[in-house]
Amino acid sequence: MQTKLLEGIDRGQTVLEARGITKRFPGVVANDAIDFEIKVGEIHAILGENGAGKTTLMNILFGLYQPDEGAIYIGGQAVQFRSPLDAIDLGIGMVHQNRKLVPAHTVIENIILGHPRAGRVLNLRRTGAEIQELCEKYGFNLDLKAKVWQLSEGEKQVVEILKALYRGAKVLILDEPTSALAPPETKKLLASIEAMARDELAIVPFITHKLPIVLAVSDRVTVLRRGKVTARLQTEHVTEKSLAKEMVGREVIFRLERAKVEAGNPILRVENLTARSDKGFQALNGISFSVREGEILGIAGISGNGQHELAEVLAGLRKVEGGKVFFADQEITNASTLKRWQMGMGYIPAERVDVGSIGDFSLVENVTMNYYFDRKICRQGLVDYGQVRKLTEEITSEYGVAVPGPDTKAKNLSGGNLQKLILARVLSRQPRLIIANLPTQGLDVGATEFVQNKLMEAKKERAAVLLISEDLDEVLSLSDWVAPIYEGEFMGMIPGEGVDRESVGAMMAGSRPEVEI
Amino acid sequence: MTIAGYEFRLEKRMALRSWEAALISLLAIVFALVLFSLIFILAGINPLSAYQEIFSYAFANQFGLPLTINRFIFLLLCTSAFIIPYRAGLWNIGMMGQLFFGMLGAFAVLLAFGAKESIHTQLPAALVIPLMLAAAALGGALLGAIAGFLKGKFNINEIVVTMILNFVASWIVAHMIKEGGPFMNPGGRGESFEIPPSAYAPLIAGTPFTILLALGIAVLLYFLFARTRIGYEIKAHGLSPAAARYAGISSLGIPLLVFILGGAIAGLAGYHYFAAVPGVYKIARNYGYFGDLAFYGIICGLISQGNPLAAIPVTLLFGGLSVGGRFVQGKLHMNFGVDYALLGVLMISLVAFQFFYRYKIAWTKISKESPDVGVSG
Repeated sequence: MQTKLLEGIDRGQTVLEARGITKRFPGVVANDAIDFEIKVGEIHAILGENGAGKTTLMNILFGLYQPDEGAIYIGGQAVQFRSPLDAIDLGIGMVHQNRKLVPAHTVIENIILGHPRAGRVLNLRRTGAEIQELCEKYGFNLDLKAKVWQLSEGEKQVVEILKALYRGAKVLILDEPTSALAPPETKKLLASIEAMARDELAIVPFITHKLPIVLAVSDRVTVLRRGKVTARLQTEHVTEKSLAKEMVGREVIFRLERAKVEAGNPILRVENLTARSDKGFQALNGISFSVREGEILGIAGISGNGQHELAEVLAGLRKVEGGKVFFADQEITNASTLKRWQMGMGYIPAERVDVGSIGDFSLVENVTMNYYFDRKICRQGLVDYGQVRKLTEEITSEYGVAVPGPDTKAKNLSGGNLQKLILARVLSRQPRLIIANLPTQGLDVGATEFVQNKLMEAKKERAAVLLISEDLDEVLSLSDWVAPIYEGEFMGMIPGEGVDRESVGAMMAGSRPEVEI
Repeated sequence: MTIAGYEFRLEKRMALRSWEAALISLLAIVFALVLFSLIFILAGINPLSAYQEIFSYAFANQFGLPLTINRFIFLLLCTSAFIIPYRAGLWNIGMMGQLFFGMLGAFAVLLAFGAKESIHTQLPAALVIPLMLAAAALGGALLGAIAGFLKGKFNINEIVVTMILNFVASWIVAHMIKEGGPFMNPGGRGESFEIPPSAYAPLIAGTPFTILLALGIAVLLYFLFARTRIGYEIKAHGLSPAAARYAGISSLGIPLLVFILGGAIAGLAGYHYFAAVPGVYKIARNYGYFGDLAFYGIICGLISQGNPLAAIPVTLLFGGLSVGGRFVQGKLHMNFGVDYALLGVLMISLVAFQFFYRYKIAWTKISKESPDVGVSG
């Protein structure tokens, strides 16, 4: 067994080392002579914007890619990974951001899937007991017999971690581990990560966006920018600001200037709305609210509490079961999506790859998505692609979408650039109502700042903005009104300014305030 | 892979230019012909002379060329009928049924004008022929609409529906032309009544005018996809139905529309073969053969990658090889179906070569001095 390589390495010694890793892809150097090491018992964060090369580096450490130059050492010995199997055998585990689980199977079945000891006949009882032991050791609270589709995102992540641990991982690579988690889940996960590190595991979480988490748990940070290491720091010596500066290469402003705008007439009015989820469960339980001109209403909630269904209902993509929706004073409860676009709605969907854009279309054709029905672009049934091309060039340069040209296919864009393109396209219509569903999810600090500023600008231009976000800080810093959503109901409607963060967090978890404000 | 001091590897293509696509297709055809020549050699026939016979009969013979052109028109219409739903991400496997319905529509018009009574009936061609065309398009569109509606409204698999409707249409044709059927031939030979010469489709230099129809439709479709709003909506729906819905494109309307258009064009193919090709002018007993031939519309559509203009050379080649292959089989006394065997090899080769649409072979000379960096690849 090669796992022995890890034995005999004491706490504080280097377990995994990468020297001079270089990896080139057509047109880019994703990793440029990167040196990186991790010691037993430490939590070593890797920080960098989207496209800085974190994922490439981790994929090399996990054996998914072969480096063009450089080598990896485990316990001082050079190793070569032909595939992730080699890395797993040597005790490296990776938890991907996109869950790789079988939804219809139970937790135990998922964990044992592909395990060499699974054999032909499964001994689920023994396995269960062993996994339960791991859970207790690290403070994971999980029903092992539950089917994976019933679990929350945080629980699914725990399943992935358990899978890696049960497979014997000593070095654990966590890809943006908190990106899909609600605040309480994040807290629990961080406690578990710390428990694991105490237990002589080496952990590498890499995080783009949530600087406070880096500060809270990690011992050391390696910062990447454009494929190069720009800083190696002891966490105790850094601040959020200095980290952000290393990562982005310039100063980042954390507090958004809340624009003062006199709110006008209500643009969106929702009365007693009910709707069902894809699985047929009640997703919205009679919601009523309105959003006025020049106002941002932020809906804060943990994923799966009906906010996604709400966005789809408002965009005309999901059937209303009961209640009414008005745009300005016109009822649009059952209006088609096209009608809503034409009336001045702009929808920024959470699924930017599958819904918000078409990967095989060029940028010009992607911009056409929101213009093919517009009289400025389409006359007598003919689309004026020349004009769309001009528009595309304008908005990509205005929004700083980094692309070779307007004929690039959308699938070649990074997540941040794609989101900028979608935002640019929707906002260029100057919509009266903007529905933004998780507009900054998965974006790096620079892109997040940009998107948030654009939403604030839209508010200044008197658009009504409905912001749906799982990031409480984002909701609180942008919104004029905050509505925490829990199991398809609003737990209250609170003015955004001067609100107590803890109480909103509690409302997101289902507690109603004693006195309605 | 290393050969003679050069390292060869596959690289993903970032973009495919149209001349590259054409060159790859041409190489695929040459490859198929070389491969098939092995079969000629095994049968003791000189492949070069066999190919010479095939191509000269299909494209340069006074008897062969008209056959080729008629099949070309038929195949091009069937291919267009496949391409429209294909661009919307939907599979039309029902050109056979749709063309039969188109054929029935055209003959229904003739029946209404009393053409069944006598072959010498004088029909007002200027009125009857446009009506026949309209009825043919309508018949095909009707059958197509069923599949499109079921897909759009209830998400019922369009492949299954169009396939089943093929059988339905096939049996309806059998019923119409059998003894006592409405379209039966007065002589009762298991064929339909014959079209009176007064309603024969006009010929242009010996070629049915439907050639203009087929080419015109191909050009129009190209324009439709490149420039129009409808074309944009079809393409968007084809690449991502969810994104198209987000953009406000109707997920009922697009399937319905593409199957109505596709069905109508397949209906015209039915008009073409049974009412416009000299020497046919009836629903002949072997109508099923042309139902089978319609399936080549799928293959030609896939080979042309959904490009209506690329379909023109592809269908011309397939039409010609099916005619020339059949001819050379008889002439050289070969005991197997050269036409279908040759089309089959060609088809496999063209599909296999589409690999090079996405990948290209790159090579570098390995220099002895370069330091070994110790990376296995």
